Amino acid sequence: MTSAADSCRTPLVEAEGVSRAFRARQGLLGRRRDILAVREVDLTVARREAVGVVGESGCGKSTLGRLLLHLLKPTAGTVRFDGRTLAEIGGDRLRTLRRRMQLIFQDPYGSLDPRRTVGDQIADGMLIHGLATPAEARERVAGLLSQVGLDPAHAARLPHEFSGGQRQRVAIARALATGPDFVVADEPVSALDVSIQAQVVNLLADLRESLGLALVFISHDLHVVRHLCDRVAVMYLGRVVETGPAAAIFAAPAHPYTRALLAATPSLVRRRDSSRAPLAGELPSPSDPPSGCGFRTRCPFATTACAEAVPPLEAFGGDGRQVACVRVAEIG
Amino acid sequence: MERRDLHRLAVPLAVVGGIVALAAAAPLLPLADPVHIEVSARLTPPSEGHWLGQDEYGRDVLSRAIWGARASLAVSFLAAAIAGIAGTALGLLGGYFRGVVEILTVRSAEAVLCFPPLLLALLVVTLLGPGAGTLIVALSILYAPSYARVAYAETLAARNLDYVVAQEALGARSGRILLRTVLPNVAPPLLVQFSLTVASAMVLESGLSFLGLGVVPPEPSWGLMIRGARSTMDQAPWLLLWPCLALTGTIVALNMLCDALRDVLDPRGRTVSANPFRAFVSGLLPATEPAPAPPALLRVDGLHLAIGHGPGALPAVRDVSLAVAPGETLAVVGESGSGKTLTGLAILGLLPPVVRVTGGRILYTGRDGTTVDLARLGEPALRRLRGDELSMVFQDPSASLNPVHRVGDQVAETIRAHRDLSAAEARRRAVALLDRVGLPDAARRARAYPHELSGGQRQRAVIAAAIANGPRLLIADEPTTALDVTIQAQILELMAGLKAQAGGMGLIFVTHNLAVVSEIADRVVVMYVGEVVEEGPVAEVFGSPRHPYTAALVASVPEGDDDRLSAIPGVVPPLHDLPAGCRFAPRCGLAEPACTAGAPALESLGGGRSTRCRRWREVA
Repeated sequence: MTSAADSCRTPLVEAEGVSRAFRARQGLLGRRRDILAVREVDLTVARREAVGVVGESGCGKSTLGRLLLHLLKPTAGTVRFDGRTLAEIGGDRLRTLRRRMQLIFQDPYGSLDPRRTVGDQIADGMLIHGLATPAEARERVAGLLSQVGLDPAHAARLPHEFSGGQRQRVAIARALATGPDFVVADEPVSALDVSIQAQVVNLLADLRESLGLALVFISHDLHVVRHLCDRVAVMYLGRVVETGPAAAIFAAPAHPYTRALLAATPSLVRRRDSSRAPLAGELPSPSDPPSGCGFRTRCPFATTACAEAVPPLEAFGGDGRQVACVRVAEIG
Repeated sequence: MERRDLHRLAVPLAVVGGIVALAAAAPLLPLADPVHIEVSARLTPPSEGHWLGQDEYGRDVLSRAIWGARASLAVSFLAAAIAGIAGTALGLLGGYFRGVVEILTVRSAEAVLCFPPLLLALLVVTLLGPGAGTLIVALSILYAPSYARVAYAETLAARNLDYVVAQEALGARSGRILLRTVLPNVAPPLLVQFSLTVASAMVLESGLSFLGLGVVPPEPSWGLMIRGARSTMDQAPWLLLWPCLALTGTIVALNMLCDALRDVLDPRGRTVSANPFRAFVSGLLPATEPAPAPPALLRVDGLHLAIGHGPGALPAVRDVSLAVAPGETLAVVGESGSGKTLTGLAILGLLPPVVRVTGGRILYTGRDGTTVDLARLGEPALRRLRGDELSMVFQDPSASLNPVHRVGDQVAETIRAHRDLSAAEARRRAVALLDRVGLPDAARRARAYPHELSGGQRQRAVIAAAIANGPRLLIADEPTTALDVTIQAQILELMAGLKAQAGGMGLIFVTHNLAVVSEIADRVVVMYVGEVVEEGPVAEVFGSPRHPYTAALVASVPEGDDDRLSAIPGVVPPLHDLPAGCRFAPRCGLAEPACTAGAPALESLGGGRSTRCRRWREVA
């Protein structure tokens, strides 16, 4: 549906019209209302493909990542992994399937149990799924640690003895321990220093190459996504507003939001273009989204037509891109 | 467990162990019979045969105290332990599974709390008959709900932590997650709960024993001894002293043990303790040399900051010099641990208690034209400057605003702290300021509480408070790091606009983001593990770096079209283990033996640029 490479194989992960609502009570005695964090998102990830999910806080990108792993159940739509609908697989079989899909978190301080050695935590997955005896697991932990660039002798250390970048390497080793073919990385480098970010991004790129992982890389940093991903989905207020090959989107963003996002990202090489004012206003509340296009309240191109209906994702340009904007052809 | 941990535990463990051993060894010790009555020796003071005296029936008090410990300790420890295990299990299950399980476990346990403790105990005794065993059952039922509540609250907080979700993502079973991951992390408050429960069980045991519901006289227990001694308090006050001493001593020792245990079980090390007195004294020390030429606005000369005291002090900032001219924006850029934030805090005299200035000067020329050394200025004088001539914007806008006050009032408060204005006038100015920083509908938003504003709006309110009194120098520490890029762009534009309007306000912008620096700053200071490694005009420093670290930082920004990012190998060295010579040498591609032999000095290159690298001519 998006690129030629997808159609000739079955995708590894397929999300079809997934939505996720959270219940929230407004005020102490207020009515309960649903906040739709993710709205009718379609996303496919082919084997060995890296897909970037980009957007600002509150756009639903982390929720989407957890929906793809079925750590959250979708309130509508389905997620298929390797052809099987995750919602229909129960208990033990789902747990067995988890061996093949893993999650890497943003905060390398919160994602490791502070009370257990990193070796034990990396070995967990192998022992849970019976992939190794404790002795074999110890050996594999050493191998995994050197694979992510750490000293195998450090398996007996506790997380607090490592720096942030090293902890993120430990978290990556834990995710790889069960030999997954699908990994969701949720802002894995956002909490790290610039020089360390580059190390971890390179590590993820190498591992993806050598292990043939399918990767969903969630980030607010467009530059990092461009380095790592084949394809990008840009999200705003729970919906995908633009998707397509990373290179094409970065070269010529089509959706007004993608344009604004790229323009707002500070750059070392180009001084701020003073003619292009930063995007005005703030993200509308997900509990009370605007009618029609979610971006219209901040969009410089918005017309009355934008308020009437949610613009569908439609093919744009010849490069496998899809854009959800009724005026995309005019404003080009 | 490390030797240091054992050392911490040694004293409380020995005391508690000693008490338990003494009680356990009671039958072996050459003690008088605790129930042998000798009415003629009634209320005798301590003597050679009876070290602690004799009670109202002439029984040996020492013997009764030691034998009584058996009953008191056994009942309270067992009850606290049984209640602990049962309550923790209920709390863990309820907190982890929620829903129906929560109702069956935590909520039903809480129902027990509705019964008055004595009524509950009477009920249990009626069913089981009196005795120490009954007492244990009654106390266990009584204390289990409080454990359940603590465990429940802690589990609720822990179940959404990333490392618990990570276990779920690994496909671990709930039982494994609860026992291996959640339980160890909710244990510390439960240990505290245990020490409190043991203490409280001892007290309740004495009360229930008195009512005949627990230990039955003439068998001794500390509770019975206190009750007995109370009636003869006038004639023999010491009789009250012994059991009370035994009771409080045991409880104190137990609390110490549980506290030590909790600290030892926390793997995240210990913090350096502050010495406010030393910090105070060092603040009073006069400048050793007369101040050289005063700066137009601010000049930091050879600033040294240390964390902690004595030989273990860590040199967090070493020989940092920088200057800001009026109307200039200086960016201080570096990775975490570079000392950039501490340098900013030192200028305002806002260093945390463990950090102190160990050298250097922070010369500031104020509105009235006098120059002061901020590093040696007393707190009252600093307070007059802060929020007026000098102000600061922090990274996290929600932490900088008081959640229980309206934002308009908080801005007005800053104005009134330095200007003699009526409350109404200050509020009017606050609204004007909020309008100036671009808060939409400022008059209404001034009445909002911080949580009613978005992150970007909160940062605007913080900036409004910071510029309220027209500061001469504004220090912004990562003011946009917590914000989204489109909001970051708004705030950067706001700050640039404010600076243009304010005319003459100097800005120190502390950040780790090189791209932000190139957009906002005139000059940049690059810091690495507490030292300035390069300084100069932004375009020149980033365009043609003269230090390998700056060059590597610039190259690692993911903006080029290369497939691979260029990363700096290795990690930032910890402060307690800095490499000799050039601090960057171990990670530097240009390092040669001479680099590790001696520390390079900051070398001036002309044109306002300087670098701390011997081989700067070769930096590409």
